[in-house]
Amino acid sequence: MTAYNVEIVTPIRELKFQDVSYLRCPGLDGSFGIMSNHREGIFALSVGEIKVYQDGKNEYYATGEGFAEIYNDSVKLLVESLEKSNEIDSNRAKNSLQRAKQRKTEQNSEINDARVEASLTRALNRLRVSKR
Amino acid sequence: MKMVAAAKMRKAQERMEQARPYSNSLSEIIEHLLPDIDRESLTLLQVREIKRKAYVVVSADRGLAGAFNTNLLKIAQKEIDEFGRENVDIFCIGKKARDHFNYRNYNVLESHIDFWAEMEFENAMMIGRSVIDHFTSGSVDEIHVVYNYFTNIAQQEVKSETLLPLSYDEGDYTASDRLYEPSKKELVEVLIPRHLNIQMWKYLLESYASEQAARMLSMENATSNAQDFIKDLTLQFNKARQAAITTEMLEIVGGAEALG
Repeated sequence: MTAYNVEIVTPIRELKFQDVSYLRCPGLDGSFGIMSNHREGIFALSVGEIKVYQDGKNEYYATGEGFAEIYNDSVKLLVESLEKSNEIDSNRAKNSLQRAKQRKTEQNSEINDARVEASLTRALNRLRVSKR
Repeated sequence: MKMVAAAKMRKAQERMEQARPYSNSLSEIIEHLLPDIDRESLTLLQVREIKRKAYVVVSADRGLAGAFNTNLLKIAQKEIDEFGRENVDIFCIGKKARDHFNYRNYNVLESHIDFWAEMEFENAMMIGRSVIDHFTSGSVDEIHVVYNYFTNIAQQEVKSETLLPLSYDEGDYTASDRLYEPSKKELVEVLIPRHLNIQMWKYLLESYASEQAARMLSMENATSNAQDFIKDLTLQFNKARQAAITTEMLEIVGGAEALG
């Protein structure tokens, strides 16, 4: 299987992977996989899980919203946040989930619904990926 | 305090470096996609008649940083007054801006304080979101940001920029047979908020670095001023002491002579 290079860029760090043979990203309408020689393009990503298959091993990352740019021989992901599955502090994730749930029930008019919903999705996602 | 400010400034500068690849890549995509989009079709690109403005004023939480806050607030207030203060909503970032505009009864809509110490991208996203909401809801027709731009350690410049509606060159572009998913228009719709978030993050970082640089410089000045003061005062003290000793000696000599 031919491999390609992947670059994941966030506002606070940059991660580079060499010889990745398969990459799974959370698209807006569900996950999609990228193998080498994929058609070039730009894809929007939602909150979810990124799987990187490299040297016979899988690595999982929790990600925020962003974009995937696919070129001939490389892939560049631009995402707002990125955390490796084993680096996620599951207690912190649980706490923020608790907070988000509480806010949802409180019906606070100052905090807008979409924002509460978004933080709930993020917290759930981090918790899910941390169990990998 | 100078050392503390220096360490914090270095950290902020590092973060500015780290944010660069992300923001550059985003700008590239935007430049690539935007010329193809009809301005009117997206709220965030609409150029409306300006009846009401919003100002995001990025200040610091603390003083003792020379003219850092004063200059910024002066310029922000001048611009707001020129447009008419009753037609301006203000988003205050940092305690100094909040106190300044609250005290003068300006229309302060939101204030974000006490996050500088553990500044995270989340903060920028939060501010970005509420600013964008304010624009898309039609409450204001233009959004400005006033912040301190970090030129170098010795120099910071107050800048006022228009955040929304987004401006870009409507130049020509080369069509490619790339795949877009979802459609170009929908992509741009999610892209722009991302772009504004990183823009906001950059403003915060620039301002934070500037604040620390300004503090570093003013603390250095304070130290050297204090040293000058100590030198002057020591000299004065020694002179006075010497004068007292001389007078006493003269009195003793005078007394001895009178007796002899």
